[in-house]
Amino acid sequence: MRRLFLIAATALLVASAGCGGSSSSNGVVNVTVWHGYEDIEGKAMTSAAARFNATHPKIHVTVQNYGNADYALQKVLTAIRGGAYPDIAYLYGSWAANIARSPTAVDLSSRIKEPGVNWNDFWPAERQAVQVGDKVIGMPALVDNLALVYNKKLFDQAGIPYPTANWTWDDFRAAAQKLTDPSAKQFGWAYVADGSEDTVWRFDALLWQAGGDILNSDNTKAEFNSPAGVQAATLLQQMATVDHSVYLDNGNGNYANLFNSGKIAMLFTGPWDLSSFPDVDYGVQVLPGLTNHQTISGPDQWVLFDNGSERTQAAWTFLKWFTSPQQAMIWSTQTGDLPIRASQTQLPGYDAYVKKYPGVSVFVQNEANAVKARPVIANYNEVSQAMGQAIQAVLLGKGQPQDELDQAADQVDQTLATGQ
Amino acid sequence: MISRAARSEHVSGWLFVAPAALLIGIFGILPIGWAALLSFQNNDLLTTPTWVGTQNYHTLVNDPVFRQSVNHTIVYTLLFVPLSVGGSLALAMLLNARIRFSWFYRTAVFIPVATSTVATGLIFNWLLEPTYGVANYLLGKVHLGPYGFFQNPDQALYSIVAMTVWGWLGFDVIVYLAALQGVPESLVEAARLDGAGRWATFRHVVFPLVSPATLFLIVWSTINALQVFDEIYVTTRGGPLHATTVMVYYLYSQAFEFFHAGYAAAIAEVLFAITLVFSLLQLWLGNRRVHYGS
Amino acid sequence: MRWPLPFSPRHLALMPIAALMLLPLGWMLLTSIQTLPESRHFPPVLIPSGIHWQNYPDAWNAAPFGRFFANSMIVTLSAVAGNLVFCSLAGYAFARMRFFGRDVLFVALLATLMVPFQVTMIPTFLIVQKMGLVNSLPALIVPNLVTPFGIFLLRQFFRTLPIELEEAARMDGCSRLGVLVRVVLPLSMPALATLTIVTFLWTWNDFLWPLIVITSTNQSTVQLGLAQFQGAHQTNWTLLMAGNVMALAPMLLVFIIGQRWFVQSLASTGLK
Repeated sequence: MRRLFLIAATALLVASAGCGGSSSSNGVVNVTVWHGYEDIEGKAMTSAAARFNATHPKIHVTVQNYGNADYALQKVLTAIRGGAYPDIAYLYGSWAANIARSPTAVDLSSRIKEPGVNWNDFWPAERQAVQVGDKVIGMPALVDNLALVYNKKLFDQAGIPYPTANWTWDDFRAAAQKLTDPSAKQFGWAYVADGSEDTVWRFDALLWQAGGDILNSDNTKAEFNSPAGVQAATLLQQMATVDHSVYLDNGNGNYANLFNSGKIAMLFTGPWDLSSFPDVDYGVQVLPGLTNHQTISGPDQWVLFDNGSERTQAAWTFLKWFTSPQQAMIWSTQTGDLPIRASQTQLPGYDAYVKKYPGVSVFVQNEANAVKARPVIANYNEVSQAMGQAIQAVLLGKGQPQDELDQAADQVDQTLATGQ
Repeated sequence: MISRAARSEHVSGWLFVAPAALLIGIFGILPIGWAALLSFQNNDLLTTPTWVGTQNYHTLVNDPVFRQSVNHTIVYTLLFVPLSVGGSLALAMLLNARIRFSWFYRTAVFIPVATSTVATGLIFNWLLEPTYGVANYLLGKVHLGPYGFFQNPDQALYSIVAMTVWGWLGFDVIVYLAALQGVPESLVEAARLDGAGRWATFRHVVFPLVSPATLFLIVWSTINALQVFDEIYVTTRGGPLHATTVMVYYLYSQAFEFFHAGYAAAIAEVLFAITLVFSLLQLWLGNRRVHYGS
Repeated sequence: MRWPLPFSPRHLALMPIAALMLLPLGWMLLTSIQTLPESRHFPPVLIPSGIHWQNYPDAWNAAPFGRFFANSMIVTLSAVAGNLVFCSLAGYAFARMRFFGRDVLFVALLATLMVPFQVTMIPTFLIVQKMGLVNSLPALIVPNLVTPFGIFLLRQFFRTLPIELEEAARMDGCSRLGVLVRVVLPLSMPALATLTIVTFLWTWNDFLWPLIVITSTNQSTVQLGLAQFQGAHQTNWTLLMAGNVMALAPMLLVFIIGQRWFVQSLASTGLK
């Protein structure tokens, strides 16, 4: 038994002798791309790579699903630390500022000026998300924004007219109240209340609408505890603890299934959720606002890593091709993701795209409402956590808006001061 | 002067443990050394680290969330260990009988252990959901609740205890079942014939004979409980309001959300110290109380 | 008091417990036979409209699961074999032999369990990388060939065995190794079966370490394959659960077979 095992072990060691990425063999440069797409998007990714490889004989792109994108950071950090990282990786926008500090992340600021890139064609929110100081550390991969998604049938049943583009917070709150029915366990609205960034970014949209900001302009002090912030937090507090019209989701995505089951009337959510609602006749509208209807966008990006100049150039060639208007349009049509370029709305395929995915045109137009972005700083996650805890406390009725926001602001000021 | 026999015993002893010691030395002890070094650095795993001496530890002492996490970890452990070890012994006694379908019951008890944490988290998210969940529905029928469970800061940690005890009971059960095989029926019968009741037989015959397994399970469960993470990650994510932030969750978020790997390593070192103290205490007490041999 | 019913009273206690314990499997099975839109309901639909078996072949074909199962099997069986061998050797030494530094070494080995993996995974990765094993099956096997858990478990079990048998064998001229193999191990089947089951369980279900160390599909394991059903925003629950059920199957098989060995009667061995 033991001998057999030793033989087997040796055979395994010999057979699986290393396979890192080789840079080139017979003049073909190998490029590795890590992504977290599965299902439809996964297939779209694979076919995009195939299309590229067919038209670019000197470069061979391999796409690799790294599993759940939530784990991507651990995997990428380990890989960077071990010197075994890919050429391109899909990373969440919130990691940008930190990844930028690694010497392995390639600065694209000169490359984006190349002809054909048309940097300003990308939405403002995307461009802001990859700009870390004076470095550009990625190409836009995904853009989305928050809009109001509602269940038409529930509105009809309650006899309320559908939300309009001029809805105010008061209209919204009143509708939520009318759409809440405790005996049927039906809620007018749902909010992700787990204290994570999911909790914070919806609040950000309201904060901005009220004229507030998260941090001051040089990112040294918190400003979300201003009267605007308190106003936004108070809306949440009133709806959750007084009206009881808000379903508090604990971060596990129940709200989507509940909405699909007709138990929730309205959501602040993005285009990625639409395919989770096959049983609902939904409508999409811009967010209810005050003097404006600002929203928030959550772009993710493709980060380029330095594996030597040959591979970097090849990887850039792929990224440039992949994010070009035509390829981006093919991607949007296959996956339902929003166009990453404003010019895509003028392309011939755009109408077919809008027809294929109901409600998506509102999201595209709503992108113009995403004028502000979250600060792209290395310790943004700590700012996020402080704010998230404050909002969660308010939603659970464990604290008053001004107190909670002030407390969070103190914490954030400290964090920003020590740079820790 | 060590006798020849004793010397050869030393040598054979080391030869027997050598492969294990080598492998664990490389894959266990080296990484821990690295982690200890990391705790004296300011390291984000991306850029060049800087040495900061004991600064991380000083920060820990004044960190209210850290203190909370220690508190939560210990409360969790003090609940989890007795419940799971005690409960599993009772369950093992029930299962250690030649009744029909015993293989089925044993397999059923084992299933939660074999199920992925993701699936377990999903089920409990549904069971304990405050508005639509089964638990509040049933409790409502007997005029209790509704409870917030995972969403109530005062109940969340206890809900995690319930979830993890349920998930790990089967593991302890199989260890106890194996141990119970070493309890000779003849002894049990002899005790009965002497007039001992069921409880007395258990207390004076069975329990001492399975005490090596009990010691093992207590030490093992403690080490694991102090490091609970996965179940919290798939349900409450350390919340609400840090109610379920235990030490490993805290260090995970420090390392992989805030990029403070050095600080996370310092937390790990404190956890290590706490675990070592618990284990040594248990082993020492165990050596006095545990009954080996027949 | 005579029990009036034809079955043991234990059933009355065991049935509700078994029902509670079977909840995850029931839920997984239920979700795995639903259609995707059906799964997007909360509270979950308890009585599905039909049995959508198609999820199983769909899940299997979504990724090269045949390859993943083979890889997982190789890794897991190797880890089990390694543990059985090395933990027996070490466990016996700690249980019966006196050697310099024994207790310190034992605590040191146990101590390696006391630092969470989230911290040790990066240096472990670096070590594996220095050995040139990244993205290979040995990377998954070698660090798992022996665990302090197994050593501790066997040490405890070996110490419960009557030492007279071992002494008798030694007096008959048996070497230490001979005593271990011919006398101790045959009497330790329950413990060895337990170790087999537990090692199989952990290695089979291991996720984080393979995630970090494996970068290509050919070397992926079943758990990595399942993770692909969980996207950033969307999870394909029906395929995920179908995949989970399939992944659970070998585990349960090993357990059911292993039961023969860890629940056995010693009454016939003439031991006591």
